[in-house]
Amino acid sequence: MLKPKVNFTDNDFVEGLKVGDDLVLKALYKKYYNLVLKLVVSNNGSSEAAQDVYQETIIILYEKCQDPEFKLSCQLQTYVYSVARNLWLKHLKKHGKTGELKEYHQDVFEDASSDTKTHLKKEESIDKVFKSLEELGEPCASLIKDFYIKKMNMEEISEKFGYTNADNAKNQKYKCLQRLKRLYFDNFTIVD
Amino acid sequence: MRTVDLFDNYLEGKLNAQELAAFELRASSDPVFQKAFEEHKTLVGILNASNERQVLKNKLKHIHSVEFGKEAKIISINKPEKLTKRIGKTFMVAASAAVIAVISTIALLSTGGYLLEKQDIKITDLGLEVAGLKSSQNAIVRKLNSKEDKPFAAANLEGSAFALNNSGYVITSWHMVNGADSIFIQNSTTERALTKIIFNDPALDIAVLKIENEEVSKAWQVPFTFNAKSAEVGEEVYTLGYPRQDVVYGEGSLSSLSGYSNDTAMYQVSIPVNPGNSGGPVLDSQGNIIGVIRGKLTTAEGTGFAVKSTQIIRSINSVEGETVKSELILNNTKSSLKKLKRSEQIKRINPYVFNVLVYKNN
Repeated sequence: MLKPKVNFTDNDFVEGLKVGDDLVLKALYKKYYNLVLKLVVSNNGSSEAAQDVYQETIIILYEKCQDPEFKLSCQLQTYVYSVARNLWLKHLKKHGKTGELKEYHQDVFEDASSDTKTHLKKEESIDKVFKSLEELGEPCASLIKDFYIKKMNMEEISEKFGYTNADNAKNQKYKCLQRLKRLYFDNFTIVD
Repeated sequence: MRTVDLFDNYLEGKLNAQELAAFELRASSDPVFQKAFEEHKTLVGILNASNERQVLKNKLKHIHSVEFGKEAKIISINKPEKLTKRIGKTFMVAASAAVIAVISTIALLSTGGYLLEKQDIKITDLGLEVAGLKSSQNAIVRKLNSKEDKPFAAANLEGSAFALNNSGYVITSWHMVNGADSIFIQNSTTERALTKIIFNDPALDIAVLKIENEEVSKAWQVPFTFNAKSAEVGEEVYTLGYPRQDVVYGEGSLSSLSGYSNDTAMYQVSIPVNPGNSGGPVLDSQGNIIGVIRGKLTTAEGTGFAVKSTQIIRSINSVEGETVKSELILNNTKSSLKKLKRSEQIKRINPYVFNVLVYKNN
């Protein structure tokens, strides 16, 4: 079967990610996987670790692209390599393995490290919210997730959880959210 | 309306111009209101972000499995060929297994220009072979039999097996006995006994062996049964096997209802398995057989795969040919292990779990 040969430029990739084009995402994923695989596997990592690092790298790039102001200030390949390299260095450090990294790309984009840091910080807060949700228990955790993540409306929630009406469900959601805030924030601000 | 609902409406863009102006005015003049709003926004933002990340992660996982999915491969858990004596064996086996794992990854990496070569471990021929496959008595074996008091020559491959019924049939992994010249089983209660292959299903990677000497199984009372129902994710499971000379117990839980590459004929179990565990039973807490250990992921520790008992039952029940069929009956007496403590269960099961020794002529 013949397939049209598509060569995306760096800019095509960035624009594609901005609009959430799945074909572009797929092409991007294919393009730099081997580079990151090489980096991780030849620096004490398994191919599974390489997969994790690479997927996290793509997520970082994807999220950066959601910022309308974002512009690549280096080659895309350099950006991907630098982010993946940062993530892998962090991983090695965490496991007490330091030393010279075998490199597979000639330049490293220094600013990538702040993007990596921002990403990991966000990941930490996500973990913290989910931990708090777990502590919150049921039905509160599901109620919060259904409203804020699944975007269910109060009528649907009321039906699902067996509340008599939407107002009642709203009241429950309020109580649950207050408890969640109390768990998540050290000093949470009470209004109402 | 509660302030929190106001926050939600603001974030969702549901406020009209007038409400919006009032909101912004209050936010700029009331620091408590503003701080509460910032917190609310942060929390809701994190919830949204987590969802977006999850959706993206799933997308990437999917892309990966489509584009590079077969790179990870299962290694069979039989012991590698061995040239050493029993002494120091555990160390040697562990060391050589590690070397093999490392070499295979690197070898693959170097052939494909660092792209791990696509590996398809699935056996395409789904046909069942029912045959008394020849287990020719080669020179080594004859020599062994004639000098019984001498130590036996080291087997080329070793693994595990367990009893299928009271008539001297045992089940093991096909990849272990495939191409064997002779196959022996042994454990602490059963002396080295010669077996022959009665049945195999390459697709499921199982083989049924029969002990040649009927005296050996005369007093057998197999305590476990094959579970005809699917096991549940999260169930506690355990295995007994022969990664070394003595039987070794390993426990964990059932992690997934599908195995490597989403193979629904297998379970994924979080039992630490090692070379030599192949062919061993996986039991649930009540002592029912739920599977046969087949392999593990080379890329991750603690990820074992087991062929489902439901698949084994189906496969064995589909055997044609009356003579074989009449003998190939899975033990169906009620499991006598249900109410026993784990250690008691193991005591009763151990006599029916065997170390398999495979000899190959070349």
